Amino acid sequence: MEFAGFPFLTAILLSCVIGFFVILIIPEERKGQIKWVSAFFSGITLILSVYLFVAYDKSQAGLQFVEKYRWVASIGITYLNAADGFNLPMLLLTGIVFFTGVLTMWELEYRVKEFFALYFLLVTGVFGLFMSMDLFFIFVWYDVSLFPMYLLIAVWGSTRKEYGAMKLTLYLLAGSALILPAMIYLYVKAGLNTFDVTVLMHPGTFTPFEQKFAFIFLFIGFGILAAVWPFHTWSPDGHVAAPTSVSMVHAGVLMKIGAFGVLRVGIFLCPQGWQFWSPLMAVLAIIGIVYGAFVGLSQTDLKYCVGYSSVSHMGIVGLGLATVSVDGLNGAVFQMFAHGIMTALFFSAIGYIYDRTHTKMIAELGGLSRIMPVASSYFIVAAMAGIGVPCLASFWGELMVFIAAFKTYPVWGTLAVCALVVSALFMLRVVQRTFYGPQNEKFAQIPDVPFGLGIPRMVLLAVLVIFGLFPSLMFDMIETASIPFMNGLP
Amino acid sequence: MKWFLFYPELYYFAGGLVFLFMSMAKQNNPRRDYFTALFLAVLGVLICLASIRQEGVLFFQAYRVDLFSQVFKVLLSIGLFLIVSICSNLNGVAGRYHPEFYLLLFVSTLAMMLLVSSVHILSIYLALELSSYSLYILVALRNDEQIGLEAGLKFFLVGIFASAVMLFGVALLYSTTQATYLTELIKALPGILDAPAGVIGLLLTLCGFFFKLAVFPFHFWAPDVYQGAANQVTAYIATASKVAAVAILTRMVAVSGDGSIYLVHVLVTLSIVSMTVGNLAAIVQQDLKRLMAYSTVAHAGYVLIGILSMNAAGFAAAIFYAAALLIMKFTVFLVVVKVADDGGNLEVSQLTGLYRRAPLLAMALMVSIFSLAGIPPTIGFTGKFLVFTAAMEKGYFTLILIGMINVVISLYYYLLILKAAYLLEPDEILPGIQLSIPIKVLTGAMILVIVVVGIFPRHLIELTRAAAQMLN
Repeated sequence: MEFAGFPFLTAILLSCVIGFFVILIIPEERKGQIKWVSAFFSGITLILSVYLFVAYDKSQAGLQFVEKYRWVASIGITYLNAADGFNLPMLLLTGIVFFTGVLTMWELEYRVKEFFALYFLLVTGVFGLFMSMDLFFIFVWYDVSLFPMYLLIAVWGSTRKEYGAMKLTLYLLAGSALILPAMIYLYVKAGLNTFDVTVLMHPGTFTPFEQKFAFIFLFIGFGILAAVWPFHTWSPDGHVAAPTSVSMVHAGVLMKIGAFGVLRVGIFLCPQGWQFWSPLMAVLAIIGIVYGAFVGLSQTDLKYCVGYSSVSHMGIVGLGLATVSVDGLNGAVFQMFAHGIMTALFFSAIGYIYDRTHTKMIAELGGLSRIMPVASSYFIVAAMAGIGVPCLASFWGELMVFIAAFKTYPVWGTLAVCALVVSALFMLRVVQRTFYGPQNEKFAQIPDVPFGLGIPRMVLLAVLVIFGLFPSLMFDMIETASIPFMNGLP
Repeated sequence: MKWFLFYPELYYFAGGLVFLFMSMAKQNNPRRDYFTALFLAVLGVLICLASIRQEGVLFFQAYRVDLFSQVFKVLLSIGLFLIVSICSNLNGVAGRYHPEFYLLLFVSTLAMMLLVSSVHILSIYLALELSSYSLYILVALRNDEQIGLEAGLKFFLVGIFASAVMLFGVALLYSTTQATYLTELIKALPGILDAPAGVIGLLLTLCGFFFKLAVFPFHFWAPDVYQGAANQVTAYIATASKVAAVAILTRMVAVSGDGSIYLVHVLVTLSIVSMTVGNLAAIVQQDLKRLMAYSTVAHAGYVLIGILSMNAAGFAAAIFYAAALLIMKFTVFLVVVKVADDGGNLEVSQLTGLYRRAPLLAMALMVSIFSLAGIPPTIGFTGKFLVFTAAMEKGYFTLILIGMINVVISLYYYLLILKAAYLLEPDEILPGIQLSIPIKVLTGAMILVIVVVGIFPRHLIELTRAAAQMLN
C-alpha cells in the first residue's frame, strides 16, 4: 500500500460511505436528524474537495495525492486514486453540487431516509469515478453512480417519472454495455495484466488500429452519458422527471462523468483514436449545439428548456474535446465545471418555483419577478450564464472552446457560434415569459425564498461569479494537466 | 486411509438414511424433521469445509478428489444448508412427506457431489441420473398434485430424452476414442475433434449437462418446473443443481483441450441464443418463479461464455460465476419463500408495497436483483467481468458485446421487479411480514456476502483459479 500522506481522496469517499451508513441507522421518523447528518457529511466532502483544489501544487503538476493499493493482484486491479488538473475541477464541482443539493432538498418530507441514502450512494460513485485511475474501478464507479438513479427519479420525481427513469437507466446502461467490452479489449490487448491507466497510457502500448477501434466504443458509451447528439434523448426526459437535487447532480455532475470518461479513458488511452475520430466528434457536437438550441426554443416546460440547453452546452464541451488542442481541452474542462454549477443553479431555482406553484409550464407562470424577486434572480443569473455573458464562469469556457474551434474547424465553428445566438434568443424568451410580463394572480401570495433556503443558491451563484471574474484560478489548474498531456502526444 | 477422501459423500449418504428411517415413523412432526435437517446440513457444511484440501483418487481412478471437486462440494453443501434454512414454513409440500422431502434433498446433494468428482463416463452418468431422479420426485411432491405432477412429468420426460441423447453421444465418443476415463479422453480427443464422430459425440454428451444447466434448446422444462415445484424445491433446482451442472460441464469441456473450431462455434451459438431467448422471454413473465426460470436460461448463456473460452481464466470465471449464482439466486428465492408464506406461487404484482411490509426483504431483493443484472459492486458483476475478460483473451469481442447488450435487456425486467417492490402501492393495505431473528440474520448475511464479495473478490478469485488449475 502506498499513501503519500493523509489519503484525502479516500477520505472523501469514506465520508460519503459513512454518511450512507449513518443515514441507514437513523430511524425513519427522525427526518430532521437525517437532513443534518446529510448536510454534515456532504459538508465534509465539500471542505475536502476545496482543500484539495487549493493544496494541489501547481508548480509541480502531475499526479498528486496518489493512493495505491493492490486490490486483486492476479488480474491486475489496483485501487488507484490520484488528483490532477483534469479531475480536481470535477471534484470541486461535485463537492459544491452535492452539498448545495442536500440543502436544496431541506423541505423534503416523503421517504426522507431512503432519498438521502440513495443520494449518498449516487454521489459516492461520482466522486469515485472522478478520482480513480484504474479502468476496473472507473467502470464500477460509473455503474454505482447510475443505479440509484432509477429509484431516485421513479419514487421522488414528477412528470412521467417512471417513463423517464426507465429510459434514463436503460440508455445509460446501454452506454456501459459499450464501455466494458472496450475496456476489457484494451486490458487484454495491452497484455500487461493491469487496469492501471497511468501504465496503459504510455505511448506504444496500443497499435493505431486498436486505439481507433476502442475509442469509438468508449466515445459512444461515455458519450451517451454526456448527451452527445443523437444519444441525448434520455437527458431532457430524465431531467424533467427527476426531483430537484437529483436534477442538479444529474445535469450538473453526472453528465460531466460522460465527458470526463471520454477524456480520462478514451483520450488518455487512445490518443490516436482520438485524433482519427475527432472530425466525427466535432460534427456530432455542433449538431448537438444547434439542435439543442432550436428544440429548446419550442419548449413549454421550464425544465425541458433547461434540459435542451444542457444538450446544447454539453455540445460545447464535446466541441472542445474534438479540437485536439490545449485550448480546446482547457475550454472543455472549464465549460464542464461552469456548466455544472450553472445547471445546478437552474434546477435549484426551478425547484423552489415548482415546490410553491406546482407547475413548470411557462404559459402558466409569468411575472414571477414581481412575486418572488430573489428566486427569479437566481434563475435569471443562471440564464445569463447560459447565454455566455462575461463575468460569469461559462463565458470563459465557451470562449476558449470557440477560439480553439475556429483554428481547427473554421466553417463548423462559425455555425456553432451562430447557434449561440439562437441559444441566447431562447434563454431570453424563457426569462421574459416566465419572470416578466403579466403575472398570474393565482401565485400572487407566494412568499419569496427565505434566507435559509437561499443559501445553496447563493453558494452556486457566488461560485459562478468568482470563476467568472478570476478564470485563471481554474485555467492555471487545468493547464497543469493539459499542456503536459498534449506535449506527450506522438 | 483412502476412505477419508470419501467422508463428505458418506456423511450425506448417512444423512439420507436418517430421513429414510424418520419417514417410517408413525407421527408426522414437521418441526422435528426441520431441525434435524438443519442440524445435519450445518454439520455437512463443516465436514465439506474440513475436507477442502484433500486430494487423491478412488475406485479404480474413476473418482477424483481435488481442489476443483472439493470447492464444488463446499458450494453444494452450502446450497443445501441455505435451502434447508428456508424450509421452516414448508407449506408447499404436505406434512406427511416432509421426511421424504429432506431425504431426497440429501440424496440429490450426494449425487451432485459424486458428479463433481467423477472422472469416468459411467460414474458421471450414474451420478447425473441419481441427482435427476431425486429432483423429478421432489418436483412432483408439490401440495397441489395436479400442478406438481404435471411439472414433474414434464421434467422427467425432457430429462430422460436428454439422457438418451447423452448416452448416444457417449457411445459415439467411445467408438472413436476407445476411452471412458476422462484422463484418457484428454489425450485422445484433441486429435479427433476435427472428425465428425468426435465433435458430434462430444456435443451429444454435453447435451445431458446442457439439460441440467437449462441451456437453449434444453430449457423448455425450466419455466413449467420452476412454476410447478414447491418454492423451496425451485430454489434448490435454481441454485445447487446449477452449480453441479457448471462443474461437470466445465470438466467435460476441459477434456477437449484447446477445443476445435466446430465445438467453439456451437457453444458460442448456444450461449448467444440462450442469453437472448432467456432475457426476451423473461420480459413478459408475470410469475416471479417463471421469470427466474428464464433468467436462469440467460445466466446459463453467460456461464457458457466462460466455459467456451477454454482457458484457465475462463474455467475459473465459470466457477466464480457458479458461486455467485448460488448466492444471488438463493437470495431472490428467500424473498419469494418469505413473501409467499402459504407456499403458493408469487406474481410480480404481489410484491407491491414490499418496501413497507418488510424493508429488509425489499433491500435483499434489490441487492440480489442488481447482482443478477450484473451491476457493481456486487458478486454478480464480478462474475460477469471475469467471464468477459476470459472471453476477450480469446478475442471474442462480439460475443462480449452481445453479452453486454443482453445485460441491458435483462435490466428492464429486473427494474420492473424493483418497481413493484419499491414504487407501486398495493390495492389494499397488506400487513407487514414478520421475520424471525435467524431469518433476519440470514437475509442480512446474504446482502453482505453479495456486496462484500463483490467489493473484495480477491480470495474467491484466487481459490477459483487454483481450482481451475486442477482440470488439466
